[in-house]
Amino acid sequence: MTTVRLSRRAFLAGTSAATLLGATGALPAFAQPAETPKRGGTLTAIIQPEPVTLTPATNTAQPTQVIAGNIFDGLVYYDFDLTPRPSLAERWEVASDGLTITFHLRKGVTWHDGKPFTAADVKWTLENVWKTVHPRNRALFENVAETQTPDEHTVILKLSRPSLPILSVINAVGGPILPRHLYEGTDLLNNPYNNKPVGTGPFVFKEWKKGEYILLERNPNYWDPGKPYLDKIVFRVITDAAARAAAIEKGEVLYAPFNPVPFRDVERLAKLPNLKVETRGYEWLSPVLYLDLNVENTHLKDVRVRRAIAHALDREAIAKVVWFGYGKPAISPVPSTLASFFDDSVPRYAFDPRKAEALLDEAGFKRGADGTRFTLTHDPLPYGDDYRRTGEYLKQALKRVGIEVNLRAQDSAAFIKRVYVDRDFDISSSYNAAFPDPQIGVVREFWSGWLGTGTPWTNGSGYRNARVDEIIQSAAIAGDPAQRVKLFKEFQQIAVSDVPTLPLLELKFFTVHAAHLKGAVAQGDQVYAGLKNAWIDDGPRQN
Amino acid sequence: MSLITLAAPTPHAAPRSGFLWRLLRRPSGVVGLLLLAAIIAVAASAPLLYPDDPLDMVAQPFLWPGQDAAYPLGTDMMGRDIASGIFHGARVSLLIGAVAASVSLLIGTATGALAGYYGGRTDAALMRVTELFQTIPPFLFALAIVAILQPSIPTITLAIGITAWPSLARLVRAEVLKLRNGELVQASIALGAGDLRIIVLHILPNTLAPIIVSASILVASAILTESSLAFLGLGDPNVVSWGGMVGAGREVLRTDWYIATLPGLAIVVAVLALNLLGDGLNDALDPKGERRA
Repeated sequence: MTTVRLSRRAFLAGTSAATLLGATGALPAFAQPAETPKRGGTLTAIIQPEPVTLTPATNTAQPTQVIAGNIFDGLVYYDFDLTPRPSLAERWEVASDGLTITFHLRKGVTWHDGKPFTAADVKWTLENVWKTVHPRNRALFENVAETQTPDEHTVILKLSRPSLPILSVINAVGGPILPRHLYEGTDLLNNPYNNKPVGTGPFVFKEWKKGEYILLERNPNYWDPGKPYLDKIVFRVITDAAARAAAIEKGEVLYAPFNPVPFRDVERLAKLPNLKVETRGYEWLSPVLYLDLNVENTHLKDVRVRRAIAHALDREAIAKVVWFGYGKPAISPVPSTLASFFDDSVPRYAFDPRKAEALLDEAGFKRGADGTRFTLTHDPLPYGDDYRRTGEYLKQALKRVGIEVNLRAQDSAAFIKRVYVDRDFDISSSYNAAFPDPQIGVVREFWSGWLGTGTPWTNGSGYRNARVDEIIQSAAIAGDPAQRVKLFKEFQQIAVSDVPTLPLLELKFFTVHAAHLKGAVAQGDQVYAGLKNAWIDDGPRQN
Repeated sequence: MSLITLAAPTPHAAPRSGFLWRLLRRPSGVVGLLLLAAIIAVAASAPLLYPDDPLDMVAQPFLWPGQDAAYPLGTDMMGRDIASGIFHGARVSLLIGAVAASVSLLIGTATGALAGYYGGRTDAALMRVTELFQTIPPFLFALAIVAILQPSIPTITLAIGITAWPSLARLVRAEVLKLRNGELVQASIALGAGDLRIIVLHILPNTLAPIIVSASILVASAILTESSLAFLGLGDPNVVSWGGMVGAGREVLRTDWYIATLPGLAIVVAVLALNLLGDGLNDALDPKGERRA
């Protein structure tokens, strides 16, 4: 059990590493709980798997970001509708040409070691971390030609070309700001503060006992008055899924993000009066499960075959049976959570095996004597049972329309090499976090510029479409939001019509927390944000 | 030493009927044989009773055993018939068990016989190789081989076969060493028989007892190893196997324990059958035991 759960965690971690920009912004001004929060108490939480490092600057693995979100602040955080809200930046302006972005920083903020937080920290981090080593930010910040700091509390980004998605990634883990005085002139990757981080966030790093727990304590000098409410947070490492479920059930653990227990256990836990299962707080990630159909395959290169496969799969069944309801059918590679970009009018591939058969016949692949048209391989993402079951569903569903599917299994290193480097596969499954802007998480699956680079979780299908490339490049540098929406809608029409990558589900991750833990889910990037709004309601107040 | 050698039955001196009779006189032998026969019957009848693919999603998921007469053992989380899975899984388990044990037998017996017969440098070299294999835990070794080669029935069988032979090799070597200097072999050498003839015709038949007993245990452990590999996700995903069913059911153990338990019971029965049979064979083939009886 441990092994499999570990691989699922590893998967989340791996995907996050490959896709995440980071995210935490814990600013509480909004979402005040109706009840008056109570100060004090120790929150026990689960971190799974144990992180390898605690700095979000160089590592975007999921557990690192969960911890770091409590220690660092971003310039902004994201609301449930993904609107940026003030955090370290009190306000910001984007010039009408999109070439200048000005951030006005909060005054009186100090690092955990007491030194003041200033514009110089932001400038140094942008130039030395976001533009160079941060796994996802490089592409978004490369157009920043100059960073000006006219005074201690103003940062002005001068861009050579507009890069609007910047505003979607500057929360605590997407755009973590490092203390310049501890990092300047050091070897960034080996700086000792990577594992005893100093931030400006609501909680101060205290202790990391490897294999057991990570202890954070309340930041008494936090800039948001009265917050955080909790005295301490202990992130416990519990590698066994059954043990996690038991700890949550018994109330030993009050907060557990990122699918800490198997799906089937959730139904049971959700019925308990002392627990809450929450799917909010993941809006900023917007993960989409998809199949990559290798367009270099002799059968899959025919768009009719790809459409037939789309018609042969019942996404409702995948959502209900395979994913236990923790997903909803996706119709576009841009998830519906990205409401302004999502195009509802893309072609639909209704579940219709007969139409699938007709399309396959039309493509010239008739059923042979044994009822089989042709054989394909399928490599499910090797990150746990959910993807394996998705593959088993695919095998049975395609068999019904005469396509034999051979499932293959391997470890993640072999999977990445096979799909993205050797391209020795027919159909693979994976998921990508879309993030608030299609530019960040979605277009990488379709842009031909990634082909040949071997970069994981990019263009797996091998798709090349000149118009799509053109749209992607125009949208990247378009300064007008309306123009970008228009471009992304056209992109979705082509991508869904050509269907090199077949979106299956918009996945719903879940958090399990104690019912008496209030304010634990208060924003759209909550799982990567600080728990500064969380408080423990341990009974009726006397006064 | 020579007394024991003399006491060992020669192939001609072990009448088949007597051996079977001795086996059937032992409860462990009888029970083992019956259970094994039942499993073989299950495996043989799978295509007749459940002609459809056992991986097909045929009914509503999470039907408990007895809830629907059409699916007496219920359905799993994907709505697959568990009874069908157990029947078809028996074929996979028996096939892998038998073939992997044969591979082990072949390698183990050959290595042990050559090492024991020739002694000296041959023995030293072969035993170093055997020890090399013995230093690596067989399960981890098999795991590594399957992970590298990709899980499929042939690679899993091969991996189990080539990791399970060292103990058998040592066993056979010890037996051969006992016989090597016995009068039977010395007499054969004096009559001018070749090495191969002596090994195959005179030595191996006299080591059959331990080999047969080991074989039944090897089959049982091969079935267990395959199940463990499948449990860890390294089974052949295109076929249904008992270990794979247990592995898939593990996630829902708290709520729907029957999904992992039923194929688990099948594994227990199969391994138990082979171990009982091994016990029975051991007693039946042991001349000392027979004298005591």
